[in-house]
Amino acid sequence: MLVRRCVAGDAAAWEEIVQTYNRRIYNICYRFAGSSDDAEDLAQEVFIKMYRTLASYDSSKGAFVTWVTTITRNLLVDHFRKTKQDRITDSLDATSSAHEDAQPLSEQIQDQSAPPDQHVRSREVGETVHAALAKLSPELREAVILRDLQDFDYREIATVLKVPEGTVKSRINRGRAELARLLQRTYRQVM
Amino acid sequence: MPDHTKNDQTSNGMQCHEFDGLVSDALDGVLTGTKLDGFHAHARTCSVCGPLFAEVQAGRNWLKSLTEVEPPVSLVTNILVSTTGVDTQRLRVNVSAPQPRMGWMAARWESAQAWVSGAMQPIWGTVRQPRFAMSFGMAFFSLSVALSVLGVKPADLRQISLRPAALRHTYYNTQARVVRYYDNIKLVYEVQAAVRVLKRNAAPAESRPGESAPAKKDHKNDTTQQPEQKQDRDYSQTGNHLILACAPLGPSVLDPLNQDRLNPDPLPDLPVVSVTTYRRFV
Repeated sequence: MLVRRCVAGDAAAWEEIVQTYNRRIYNICYRFAGSSDDAEDLAQEVFIKMYRTLASYDSSKGAFVTWVTTITRNLLVDHFRKTKQDRITDSLDATSSAHEDAQPLSEQIQDQSAPPDQHVRSREVGETVHAALAKLSPELREAVILRDLQDFDYREIATVLKVPEGTVKSRINRGRAELARLLQRTYRQVM
Repeated sequence: MPDHTKNDQTSNGMQCHEFDGLVSDALDGVLTGTKLDGFHAHARTCSVCGPLFAEVQAGRNWLKSLTEVEPPVSLVTNILVSTTGVDTQRLRVNVSAPQPRMGWMAARWESAQAWVSGAMQPIWGTVRQPRFAMSFGMAFFSLSVALSVLGVKPADLRQISLRPAALRHTYYNTQARVVRYYDNIKLVYEVQAAVRVLKRNAAPAESRPGESAPAKKDHKNDTTQQPEQKQDRDYSQTGNHLILACAPLGPSVLDPLNQDRLNPDPLPDLPVVSVTTYRRFV
């Protein structure tokens, strides 16, 4: 109904869509891209693309949220491919500096001592997990983000990623295990 | 995930690849009964699947600890500006403003306005783009500069009469002013004078080959009022020209001065009348 009103040119309906989905889309972009600046740009791009292709949405093919997430995921994958070269260059730089300074992920945490404030502590844990998430391969990252952060069911994830449900489950489990291994290594080094 | 080709072992009636397929269900809490017991028993005894399950569970817990981040405050505004070109604050005021009770006509008018604004939305969005505003500004600036250079003042526009006669008068006035201005330009004047001199110098040279032209002059249309020049005819008695009846134009056949240029074919069949005139015309 909201989509139909929006396609008919109702600006208020479009604003309602933006208000409803901007948080979800921004979070997906933030967790996938890793930086808030990139996430803001990507979220805007998602909405621009959505606005242009809104008339092509077919409610019989799936829920609107799945359609929106599919657009987001496709755009994120495109962005990942476009910036691949930059990341290769960055990783080469990081490798050379790693040989010199040997600074693992655990040392990137600014204050290694346990902070007295619980809020600060949980924020730092969140940052560490976010950094570890960014180290997962894009296939595993998108699967765990959709499942554990966005609470999509397996069928919806399979629709968005265009892979069978079995593959979705496998990727989610591999992603979780990989993330746990990264974090265990990190905290072992901190201790 | 573990390499099950190497470590595919049966433990408590469950194989590793079977265990792998049930990990998600076990974590989601959909696994019950004997399957759940068998799953946990396999996790306890299998050296590969046990740690794997612990890692998956830990990873899931880490991810669940992540909280949603707040999007930037300007995100919604930026999205709306970049899509519809409309600032959200204005829309929000419009949406939340209480609608006053209105009559039938007012309601109709309101709906028509809403329809028109909906239809005009994409155009209005384009018009409000910064680049469009920039182009419009540049065009306005160029026009105002051109008008000021031409001496057109906006105050004069009010005094313009739009009657056909006045328009015609203005047109001819303007045309005359333009012609006068053009003729009075020093360069044009000099060029015109130089062309005139060149024409005068070239005139005799051009008139030579056409000297016989005046013979073919059309007397009816001669309006020059100048006396006719009859220099082609020589009626003096000293002349020995023979006048030949029915002779073709050209040099006289029996002209004694032009004997050497006699026509080789002197048309012998023609009746030739040889008459010498001794009359003197005054």
